[in-house]
Order: sequence, then structure tokens, then C-alpha cells
Amino acid sequence: MRGAFFPKLAISGIKKNGQVYYPYLLTCIVMVMMFYIMHSLSGSPLMKDFKGGGSVSTCLGLAKFVIAIFAFLFLLYTNSFLNRRRYKEFGLYHVLGMGKRGLRRIVFWENLFSAVAGLGGGLLFGILFSKLAELLLANIVKYQVDYSFRVDVKAITFTVEMFGLIFVLLMIKSLITVQMTKSLELFQSEKLGEKPPKTNWVLAILGLALLVGAYVIACSIKAPLTALFAFFVAVAMVIVATYFLFIAGSVVVCRILKGNKKYYYQKNHFVSVSSMIFRMRRNGAGLASICILCTMVLVMLSSSSCMYFGLKDTVAGRFCRDMEISVHPPMLSDLENGGNEKLFNAIDLIVEKEGVKPQNVLQYVYGSTTIMIKGNHVLDGREFEEALEGLGDVAQMDKLRYLVTISLDDYNRIMGTELTLGEEEAFIYAINVKYQESNLLLWGKEWKIKENLKEMFPLGEMEASVIPVIVLVVPDLSIFNPLFQPKENGLSDLDLSWYYGCDLDESKEKIMEVYNNLRHGLFQREELSFIKDVDGGYYYYSSCKVAEVDEMLGMYGGVFFIGIILSILFISAMVLIIYYKQISEGFEDQKRFEIMQKVGMTKKDIKQSISSQVLTVFFAPLVLAGVHVAFAFPMIWRILQLLYVRNLTLLILISIAAFLIFGIFYAALYALTAKTYYRIVSGAATN
Amino acid sequence: MSLLTVEHLKKVYVTRFGGNKVEALKDVNFTVEQGEYVAIMGESGSGKTTLLNILASLDKPTAGKVILNGTDTSKIKENDLAEFRRDHLGFVFQEFNLLDTFSLEDNIFLPMVLARKNHQEMQERLAPIAKKLGIAELLKKYPYEISGGQKQRVAVARALMNHPQILLADEPTGALDSKSTDELLGLFSDINKDGQTILMVTHSVKAASHAGRVLFIKDGEVFHQLYRGENTREQFYQKISDTLTLLQAGGEKR
Repeated sequence: MRGAFFPKLAISGIKKNGQVYYPYLLTCIVMVMMFYIMHSLSGSPLMKDFKGGGSVSTCLGLAKFVIAIFAFLFLLYTNSFLNRRRYKEFGLYHVLGMGKRGLRRIVFWENLFSAVAGLGGGLLFGILFSKLAELLLANIVKYQVDYSFRVDVKAITFTVEMFGLIFVLLMIKSLITVQMTKSLELFQSEKLGEKPPKTNWVLAILGLALLVGAYVIACSIKAPLTALFAFFVAVAMVIVATYFLFIAGSVVVCRILKGNKKYYYQKNHFVSVSSMIFRMRRNGAGLASICILCTMVLVMLSSSSCMYFGLKDTVAGRFCRDMEISVHPPMLSDLENGGNEKLFNAIDLIVEKEGVKPQNVLQYVYGSTTIMIKGNHVLDGREFEEALEGLGDVAQMDKLRYLVTISLDDYNRIMGTELTLGEEEAFIYAINVKYQESNLLLWGKEWKIKENLKEMFPLGEMEASVIPVIVLVVPDLSIFNPLFQPKENGLSDLDLSWYYGCDLDESKEKIMEVYNNLRHGLFQREELSFIKDVDGGYYYYSSCKVAEVDEMLGMYGGVFFIGIILSILFISAMVLIIYYKQISEGFEDQKRFEIMQKVGMTKKDIKQSISSQVLTVFFAPLVLAGVHVAFAFPMIWRILQLLYVRNLTLLILISIAAFLIFGIFYAALYALTAKTYYRIVSGAATN
Repeated sequence: MSLLTVEHLKKVYVTRFGGNKVEALKDVNFTVEQGEYVAIMGESGSGKTTLLNILASLDKPTAGKVILNGTDTSKIKENDLAEFRRDHLGFVFQEFNLLDTFSLEDNIFLPMVLARKNHQEMQERLAPIAKKLGIAELLKKYPYEISGGQKQRVAVARALMNHPQILLADEPTGALDSKSTDELLGLFSDINKDGQTILMVTHSVKAASHAGRVLFIKDGEVFHQLYRGENTREQFYQKISDTLTLLQAGGEKR
């Protein structure tokens, strides 16, 4: 009998506070559901089937932990809100003779019930919706799945473990809160006159400094390879800075405004500024969370949709022809023997036999290697090796270049130009970097740069290189002969390659067929027998655009899918934060506006004051999120470049579109909230 | 001409459901002269608060009029009412009604700021008032830091800032302990001596005994009035007390 007393009290407590409790339970359910879906999807058979599924699976695995961390922070926030609302009730129990022990029991049972409800409901909906999510993913990556239903026991176990831990932590936090609060405070906390928040200059300045620092990092990173690490540092800095700024910075700003008597003692500013101080104290953390959520959703939506929708351009940039083959012979003697001619002829013959006509044929010979460059000087031998050891150093990383050399003949032939070069002269063409020196010191030889070329034929895969590319057009490739020769370790200073690429105006299946036949048939041919001996140092690389498209569609589609899922998660979290904010504030402000009306404030004044405050509170996070995204933009762009995204206009347009869609959604949410808020506040004012 | 004239004031409330009519004020007539200190007494439900709300132009009468310094308050447009209240009336409430988001000083300044006065002028006006009310040291504090008696004095300061033609007080001592009550009533007497007209609604005999005149309201009408005249406060207290007894006895006989 007595044993059931506390559980009963807990249940009635939950029911009575349904207004704040049910949204909390809903959050728990959604978080658990998302986590389960992510986990079960990452182990779904679908992942093994479609191309790129592996990477999507990995991403999902990471996203899952993002959800777990986010869920913890977010539930902590809503939970502390709940606790605050419950104080009065606890205080009453306390006054009626219930000890801290009893209160702890109630808190324990409440937390237990909400944990069970959250886990149970979350898993139930997770199991129900995981199939839906799978179908959505399959649709995005354009892959067929069966409709069979699947319950992932492993995912269930892991979800229970993960969220069990989160709920235990939440319970400990609630218990500590109850324990630390004095009995009288418990009873009074709802109407206790608020102390004005302290002005925390240190935190505010630290916040500003962190923000500026993060922005500087975001804008100053040039090499995409180093940006990835810097990105995470900057993101962490921005998150911390946002919290500091909203919590402390906002109060400091209000204080400064308040210090300016001329500004402060004006009808329009007086009420707003002084209320804002309190409002920011109460909402600082919430607004900062909203701001970060906004930023996350914006970045996620714009970059993932950009990757997905920009896939065509990306593929076109990375694979400049439908079918590509490049062979790397070990020795230049093969070039002298016309090995490249033999290869190109053999390819032509095979393609011809397939009965298709190759178009936009691209064939050339090139040398390539990775170098480090210092001004006009390419580090060689020992210098280079020493520099390589220092590669952990970000500054060293910036000096890395991918050097491609081609002959003037090939360039003129492909581009249809008639450029000429003197003996020691070269043209230069730089990708993702600028080369402004008048000469280039390369392996003990000085090349005079005759001109920086404006145009270059598509270099395919090389253009997608994460490190900047320098193309050097020289009169004759044979000048590099010694460099092409392998050294004792089997590697040469400069790799020689024969490249062939062509387009085929055929169906996807036909292209795949031709490609496969070419790949398998080519090295069987008599005249190419010298290539057969792959052990002798030959190796080759081939690609077929349509097959690669499938692979990338899988990967990018997966990322897009994760983007959507996380956006839904974050947006629903935001809705809930705003919901809590609105009900708590409305009731607190009721009395205030009633008094103001009594001392001579008109309804119009009140409305104006409310809308200016609510508007600030609402749109400050969105505006700051916009600024965050704007500053993150160069970084996002560089990281997307790593992922072969090449369409900047698309990214800008999508970012703007995402911001607008988000803004509209946000404005609608604001309108709804403001309306409820007015209703709560004016409800008291008119009575 | 009287400062405040109340003529045939009538207020009928219609309940929300069923249209039951409740007559809060039947026919109230009285005048208040410049510099007077008037207390209005009556039992709960006698219509005191309704009367005060109408005087404060927070509520509209069903019939009759309130003329303050030649202005018929019922003729003032809804939009101008707040301004009218701010410029001509001062309020002191039972529950102090201080805003916890403002320092005491800013609470006092609130009506002035709403009237778009400049800061310099506010400071100048506040200094003597704060001194008189003994709150000069407290001004930078916040409402949560001070006692009820201090809060009420701040509220009085706020009410006096605009030099109101009439100070309306609604049970100003209702939430105070006896010491604070005495202090506050002493203050009211002082500021009345300085020429401030005060109209106070109360059911504390002690509070009423500080006034120069007491109006008794019963069933929506002015039932009786007493002048203090040359009486000492103790004598006046006794008279008020007797009248109330009579009033209540009469009520019970019915």
C-alpha cells in the first residue's frame, strides 16, 4: 500500500503538469525513435546492396552519436524546465510534512516513468518508422528495396543502453536539484522576486573573442585538407561563443544601453531594455540553443542538398569523359617505342568493334607528381623529405602542390591552338591556387614562365585533387626522361601516364558493356603484350562515368538523407524550446503588464513593447545563425570541394533558399507563438 | 468649483452567462474639494472598488458622470485614457504593484517615462519626494530587496511624481504590518498637509481616522458621511467605529 504511494503521486504529478510534461515525453520518444532508426538503418541490408552504402552506413553511425549527445543536452534543458515548474508542488508537499526523502522518491518515480515511456514509445515508433525511413533513403538513392518488416534486436539493445544512461544522468541531476534547494525556496520559487542578473563582462568578452577567433579561422583557411580539422575547432568555438554571448553578452548590451540615460529613459526603450535583461537571463541558454540549431540545420540542409542536387556537375567535373583509361608505363623507353600510340590504337579498335562511335576523344601523355613549393622554388630530394616529415604542420601543408606536365604538342592539338615556346620556356596553368612568379625552379632547371594560360582541357580526376594543381606545359616531355626512370626503390620522381578518354552517345547499359569489354579485352591484345606484365611496373586506372554516378548517388543521397533526418530532429527540438519559452514567459509577464497598464501604459504601448521584445528574442538567434552561416561559408565551400562539389553558384543559391525557407517557417512559428503570448498576457490585462 | 464631482454614478455588471444583472453602484453622489483627504469605507461588496475603478477611469460607469477639474472622464476617448490617468491621477495599490524588473528608481520613473519627460526633470522631481518619503537611500535597489512598508512608500513616490490632481489609494495599508501602516498613514497626512488631495478606499478604521472626511458606502449608495472637524484622531476613530457598527447592525436587521 505504502509502496504504491510515491509512484501514484509521481503519476498524478505528470498528469497534472501535462502542459509541460507531455511535450517532454514527446521529445524523449522522438529522440529515442531517431536514435533507433539511425542505428537500425546503419545495419540495414540495404546498406550492403547499394553502391556507396558503406560510407552512408558510417555516416549514419556518426549521426547516431550526434543524436545521442544532442538528446542528452536537449533533455537536460527541458528537464530543468520541468523541475522549475514542479518546485511549487514540491514545496507544498514539503510544507505538508514530506521530507526530502519523499521528494526524492517522487522525483525518482517521475523520472523512471518518463524514461520507461520515452524508451517504450520511442522504440515502438522507431520500429514502425524505420521501414519508412529505409524506403525514403532507397528512393533518394534510387534503389529498390523489398517491403519486408524488420526488427533490429541489436539496435534495440544499444538504444536502451544509450538512453538508459542518459535517463540515469537526468535523474541524478533532478535529485541533486531537489536536494540542493531549501524548503522555503521550494515553496516560493515560482513567485520569488527575481534578482537582476549579474553583468558578467568576462564571459561576454570571452564570447566575443571566441566568436571573432572562430570567424577568423573560418575565413583564413586556404587549404581544404587542413580545413576539416579547423572546421571542428571553429564549430566548437562558435557553439561556446554563442552560449556566452546570449547568456552574458546580451545582459552586457542591455546594461550598456541602460547606462546611457538619454537612451534608456525614453518611452520606447525603457520597458523593453529593462525587461530584456531579465528575459535574456531566463532565455539566454535557450536562445543560444535555438541559434545553434538554426545554424546546424541551415548548414546541413544547404550543403547536403547542394551535394545531392549538384551531383551532375560534380560528376562532370570529376569524370570528364564517359570512359577513361590511363596507363602508367614504368619507363620512358616505351614512350620512345611508341607505346602510347599502340595503346590508343588498340582502344580505338576495340571500341570500333563494339559498333559504337567514340566522341570527344581526349588523348595525351603527361607526367605527374606531388611537390612542395616555396615561392618559385620546388623543393627536391632531401629538402622535400625533410619538409614531408613536418607535414603535421599546417603551414607545410599549404605548400603541397600536384604537378602535372604536358607537352606543348598535346596542348596545341587538343586546344586547337598554335602556341610556341622557346627551349627553356613553359606555360603554366594553376587550379585552386595562383602562380605569379616569372620563373619556376624545378629539379635544378629554371623554367621561364612565358604566360599563365587562361584555358586548359579537362583534366578529370586531377582537377578534383584536394591539393592545388599546377600544370606545366613544356616544349617536349622528353626533357624529363631521367625523372621518369624508376630509382632503386622502384619509384620515379615523375610518373608518366598515357591518358585516353571518350564519350559514348549510348544507353547506360551499352556504355557499361563497352567499358567492361574494353577493360577486359584491352590488355589481352597482342600489340599491348608489353603492358601485360603489370609486375614490371605497369599499372592502369580506368573509370566509367555511369558506374561512378551510381556510387556517388548512393553516397551523396545518403548524406542528403541524413541531412533531412537531422534537420527534422533539430527543427522539432526548436519548436519545443520555443513552446516552453512561450508558456513560461507568458505567465510570468501577465502580472507585469497588468501593473504597467495601471500606471498609465496604454494597450497600444503594451502591444508595441511585447512585439519589440518578442521579436528581438525570436529573431536574434536567426540573425546570428545567418551570420554564422555567412562566415562558415568559405569553410563549407572548401570542405564541399573535398567532396568534389564544384558549383559555387548552386551552393550560394541553395544556402539562400534554405535560409529563406527556414525564415518563413520561423516567422510562422513566431506568429503562432506571439499570438499565444498575447492571449496569455492580455488575458490578465483585460480582466 | 470642486476638484472632483461624482454625479448619479451607476454601475451595473452583467454576468457572462444568463445575463444576471448585479448593481454594484446604484446612485453615488459626492464632491471632493482641492486639498481634501477623503476616506471611503464600506463592507466587502459594497461597491468601493468599483467606485475607485471608475474614478480611476479603469472602468466605465453605466450612468452618471465623474468630473475631475472640469473634465468629464467618461467623455475621454479610450486611447487617451491612459494618458489622462498618467497626467492627472496618482495610484497607490494594496499590492504595491511594483515591477520586479525595474530598480525602485525606475519604478518611480515609469509614469514619467511614459509621459516622455526627460531624465533630468525626473531626477529633479524625485529628489524632494524621495527625501520626504525616506527612500532616498533605497533607490538603486530592486523590489525583492526591500520590505512591504518600503515598497508601499516607493509606490507612493511613483504616484506623486506627476503631481497628480488627486491621489487614489486602494487599501494602501491592506498588506502592511501595523508599524508600516502607521508610518504610511503618517506620510499620507504629511503630504495632504502639503496640499495633496487624497481619496482613499479602505476598510481599516485606523486608516480612515487619518482622513478629514469619511464617506460610507452601502449597497451602492453613499449612506453617510463624517467630517473630522475639530475632533482628535481618537475621537474620530470612535465616531467612525460607531457609524460602522450602526451600518452593520442596520444591515443585519434587514
